[in-house]
Amino acid sequence: MIERLVTWARLKSPWILHLNTGACNACDIEVIAALTPRFDVERFGILLKATPRHADVIICTGPATRQMKDRLVRIYEQTPDPKFVVAVGACAMSGCVYRGAYNILGGVDQVIPVDIYVPGCPPRPDAIIDGVVKLLTAFEKKQKEIHSHAVK
Amino acid sequence: MKFKIPIGPQHPALKEPLSLRMTLEGEIIKDVDIRLGYNHRGIEKLAEQKTYIQNIYLMERICGICSHSHTTCYVQGVEKLLGIEPPKRGLYIRTLIAELERVHSHLLWLGVAAHESGFDSFFMYTWRDREVVMDILEILTGNRVHYAINTIGGVRRDIGETERQKVLDSLDLLRKRTEYYTNLGTTEPSFVVRITGVGKLSPEKARDLCAVGPTARASGICIDVRKDDPYAAYDEVPFEVCTADTCDVLGRVVVRVKELLQSYNIIEYLLKNLPQGEVRVRAGRKVPPGEVVSRYEAPRGENIHYIKSNGSDKPERVKVRAPTLANYPAVVEMLKKGFIADIPLIFAAIDPCICCAERAFIVDTKTGQEGIVTMSALKEYAKKFYQARRFEKGVVQWPL
Amino acid sequence: MDEEKIIEQMRNCLGAKLLDASCPAQRRIFVKVNGADVTAAARCIRETVGITHVSTISGVDTVKAFELLYHFADNRVCLTLRAIISRSEPEIETVTDFFPGAILYEREIQDMLGIRIKNIPDPRPLVLPDDWPADNYPLRKDWVCTRPEKKIPGGKK
Repeated sequence: MIERLVTWARLKSPWILHLNTGACNACDIEVIAALTPRFDVERFGILLKATPRHADVIICTGPATRQMKDRLVRIYEQTPDPKFVVAVGACAMSGCVYRGAYNILGGVDQVIPVDIYVPGCPPRPDAIIDGVVKLLTAFEKKQKEIHSHAVK
Repeated sequence: MKFKIPIGPQHPALKEPLSLRMTLEGEIIKDVDIRLGYNHRGIEKLAEQKTYIQNIYLMERICGICSHSHTTCYVQGVEKLLGIEPPKRGLYIRTLIAELERVHSHLLWLGVAAHESGFDSFFMYTWRDREVVMDILEILTGNRVHYAINTIGGVRRDIGETERQKVLDSLDLLRKRTEYYTNLGTTEPSFVVRITGVGKLSPEKARDLCAVGPTARASGICIDVRKDDPYAAYDEVPFEVCTADTCDVLGRVVVRVKELLQSYNIIEYLLKNLPQGEVRVRAGRKVPPGEVVSRYEAPRGENIHYIKSNGSDKPERVKVRAPTLANYPAVVEMLKKGFIADIPLIFAAIDPCICCAERAFIVDTKTGQEGIVTMSALKEYAKKFYQARRFEKGVVQWPL
Repeated sequence: MDEEKIIEQMRNCLGAKLLDASCPAQRRIFVKVNGADVTAAARCIRETVGITHVSTISGVDTVKAFELLYHFADNRVCLTLRAIISRSEPEIETVTDFFPGAILYEREIQDMLGIRIKNIPDPRPLVLPDDWPADNYPLRKDWVCTRPEKKIPGGKK
């Protein structure tokens, strides 16, 4: 019963943490533009949170640089379970133009496991919102399966 | 007794990984340590392995907010090396996109500065109006950010009559809104008192530490690459360089708002006097050996590129210095003798577009303790600090 | 013409130390000195010519030697000072006595090219990560970067 309540709260109002691991800021501006009156995700309950301890979803932008590798792992561990990672932008997916540079390890998935990839350079705010919604739909379906198994 | 506090790389205030190491005594900052590197992507080395055309797209992604400034600066340099001159219409379109980028960048900054001082409604207003500019850019170039409109020899797309008219119509809306912001930013007492006297940078220090852009112009120094070293269509367009005398964050707000109004005038002039003709000329693949220094006035300051070619189709050396790097020593100077509560605001006032990020680490020498303070905790602290202080009369001379 | 006046001033000030001076385009001057004379040249630029703004310092690795280009700018001209340093002894004096704003550019040169800058007020590394192995200078022509091996999540190696 508590489980269902908690799942409902997570789905209806996911709190996100925005993490930039060495990006050019274009994707970050689009993530923040999603909060502004034109796209306005706050009406869906999505809040931008300050600390990893309060977040459900980590939104990562930018290719993973060597300097940010440890910090990325630390932040991932600080976020409580269940957590999701969304890789926004071509840089977070595979490194975009920077592949081959000496300071870049590639996409974010070289360091932490990623659940949803949102392509684009940069992806429009609508595309980012679409990605988060797909993630939550998939999560809901999975939770329903788990509960139906548990009830049986 | 001194404290040292680190502001770790992940925080909600600024969009980039940022870290500063500050030595505090009580509430006052005594010293700041800068260490860059979170955003270092090795672009200069990468540029030597790609051709000149591929480098345009690499340069664009140095920064997402001022992407056009990097491509234009680079393309100008390569055109000088090749000895070709783009046609007038191409130059006008380049300048038009440059000014639109300046508008969107300043509106973005106004929102961020308001957010840092606790004025969230202003943040929402400016970003809503920024969407108007994003729409215009999308109509003209096809993308909201990273509009790859430049190519060696001119621009890639032309402007039709309907688009021209749409841009002129949106300008009226933007002008009205910007005048509203000017009123708001300079006469709203709680906002003005919060930003007056914060982040003082005297003109001598600004000159010595080689500050650029609105940070220097707010201290009364009249430098602007568009006037000192005209490029693209700026030698034909009439405009003024905007300066302010107050040397603090209020001065920077005033300079940027004035620049917005100037930009609208420039855009109107460019659209009304757009010459007919081609938009690009053909350029060869191989660039003859030589070297060139190319400068550009980005929204944040002076952007300088140095390109050296060796006769092949890949450059020998590309050196990029983004404007925010030039403002770092000035930030260190501004943070000294300031309060901790002002750190987010002072830092946001130089409009950091951190291509190479910073790290902040504050150490408390009073107890010898070290601790990590997130930027959000600093902002909460700042709000409470300023609420506890009474409204000081006589700090600001009315009318402004 | 401003450019010629400035070249005259530099010639009078530096005499034989000025190896070369040219004006390839409008508002661009290129001046060449040896690495050892860079302090004298910086003093001349600050005091005689009157330029106070240094835009950046580019380091170039031409295979025979290192070249450091100091880009100075003001509302008349953009003056580039080229200082030649030998590869076997990569050292040069700092210019922060005359141009305090050049400190970050010198730190970056130390990191990327491994040129030692004498009397620099703050010698810490600037842009390379903490765990960067020493004596690896990325911008040197003989330094080749190896692409780190890529893991495909969930896939075969």
